[in-house]
Amino acid sequence: MSEFQIEIKGASYSYPVREGYNVKAVRNLSLSIRKGEFVALTGMNGSGKSTLAKLLNGLFQPNEGEILIDGISTADEDNTFEIRKKVGMVFQNPDNQTVATIIEDDIAFGPENIGVEREEIIKRVDEALEAVGMSEYRTRTASKLSGGQKQRIAIAGVLAMKPDILILDESTAMLDPNGRKEIMDVACRLNRSGITVVNITHNMDEAALADRIVVLRKGRVAIDGTPKEVFASGLIEACGLTLPPITELARELEKEGFEFDGVVINAEELAEGLCRLLK
Amino acid sequence: MSAIEISNLNFVYSKKTPNEKQALKNINLSVEEGAFLGLVGATGSGKSTLIQHLNGLIKPQDKKRMSVVVNGMSATDRKNLKKLRFEVGMVFQYPEYQLFEDTVAKDVAFGPKNMKLDKEEIDRRVRRALEVVGLDYDKFASRSPFDLSGGEKRRVAIAGVIAMQPKILVLDEPVAGLDPIGRREILALVKKLQKEVSPTVIIVSHNMDDMAQLADRIVALKDGEIIADGTPKQVFCNRNLIKEAGLDLPTATSLADMLIARGVELPRDIVTMEELAKELGASLRKKRSQAVADDNDETKIGEDADGGFYAESYDEDVEVEGVEVNGVEVNGVEDPDGEDEDV
Repeated sequence: MSEFQIEIKGASYSYPVREGYNVKAVRNLSLSIRKGEFVALTGMNGSGKSTLAKLLNGLFQPNEGEILIDGISTADEDNTFEIRKKVGMVFQNPDNQTVATIIEDDIAFGPENIGVEREEIIKRVDEALEAVGMSEYRTRTASKLSGGQKQRIAIAGVLAMKPDILILDESTAMLDPNGRKEIMDVACRLNRSGITVVNITHNMDEAALADRIVVLRKGRVAIDGTPKEVFASGLIEACGLTLPPITELARELEKEGFEFDGVVINAEELAEGLCRLLK
Repeated sequence: MSAIEISNLNFVYSKKTPNEKQALKNINLSVEEGAFLGLVGATGSGKSTLIQHLNGLIKPQDKKRMSVVVNGMSATDRKNLKKLRFEVGMVFQYPEYQLFEDTVAKDVAFGPKNMKLDKEEIDRRVRRALEVVGLDYDKFASRSPFDLSGGEKRRVAIAGVIAMQPKILVLDEPVAGLDPIGRREILALVKKLQKEVSPTVIIVSHNMDDMAQLADRIVALKDGEIIADGTPKQVFCNRNLIKEAGLDLPTATSLADMLIARGVELPRDIVTMEELAKELGASLRKKRSQAVADDNDETKIGEDADGGFYAESYDEDVEVEGVEVNGVEVNGVEDPDGEDEDV
């Protein structure tokens, strides 16, 4: 078995837009992710992030190349069930991911569909709600929740399937700052418990929280490294992105004569570096 | 002159049901023509309910005691409704979801058509609106709005609103869901629209950094009430109040607080990154010139060995930042297929 949990080997995917006109969203892309990694997948609108996510759980099949999840190819239809179970996805809009009125029914929907025993379903619903900190909402209706809470319920629904990999496809984009924080806290906690997390985002502060950032540009991997490596690469703007506000500020300050140890990616580091020079 | 006068406005959703909720409480607000007002508040604080009163989408529940007057017109009066819709341009969240025509030009023309303008005037306005939002008429007019990228779609949606040449432009989270370059472009566009089309702008946002930088007045809502109203400095530097409202401090303000807590001398009213960089630069220059002066009394400020920290050099950088808005030109790399579709 390979040392990688996710292996994308030279995958390409095109959308037909109109007759005789295709858009290549993913082009001959290769990427490997280890079990337990926390990866931020970023890139400007149209860079192929969401297409790649849909390739990962077999919603789309690559036109060329191959995608393996724990060594299993997504191309084989017999594996679709297995892949969907392994790779859980949470989408952008908190308002269209619930299927039932009552929260516990909503979370039970996935395991019910794959024929999990009743006792086991109850246990999974308990655990999933606990993991996202929503246990007390068990018998409430989803429509009354805040955006952040709705997304936590969506994550719980995925967790009830016992996935190995959690993909957040811009799941925080429509949330307010508090909702964003809630989701990122849950994602970090799940990652610590062993789940591989792929967070698709174009919020650079959020990307900086990951262990590894993969930047896509025109359907290919343009930059791949730790947040510090990626933000120090000097290629972020060329990929249509910007540095996190703190990193941007540090750069401005360097023009003013300040010097920092390498690239600064969080407020703590910046404050420390500044104090050293000013006190 | 006041563009907007609101007095004693209350609003209750689902009145006399178990779900009854007071969304607005005794709102009194006067907005001057030419204002750039940032409306902030946690989710559920009443921002959307308030802005929907401005063009009559929601009417005051008690005509006798409450009033909403926009450009001298009462929003409670039915006969003003049509004019109100044209004079108050509403750009809702994710406005691109409201695109519906099969070409960009038709979509932008929808508003002016409803104003019963003649054909030439409609055409002129469509061209002008597309030009203002930065979309080339010849390139985009006949394309389907659904073939465009996310940022382009949003521009088309905004063009559709400004084609009515509203005197007041209201935008609800105009940069939500856009990538960083898209955000920068749309925010620069809003500034431009204020100058060229709609003198009064109200923007609803959760991003305090953007608000501190763009708005000249901030109104903060909490549980349907106005809890703060003033300049960005007045509102954002009231740290307890911002916390109470469930909002974040601007990044620059919280960073300055971290530094102050560690003994760095800084003013307590910093709200933008520019101000913070300027203050910190000045502190460093002061410290270095003191060190240099200690070594050698002859050295003048700004002539330190490292060079490059003259006050002017900073101002130039800010200028450059301000105009660097077009991502396509910034990255300057050609797409091999010449396609840039949204996926």
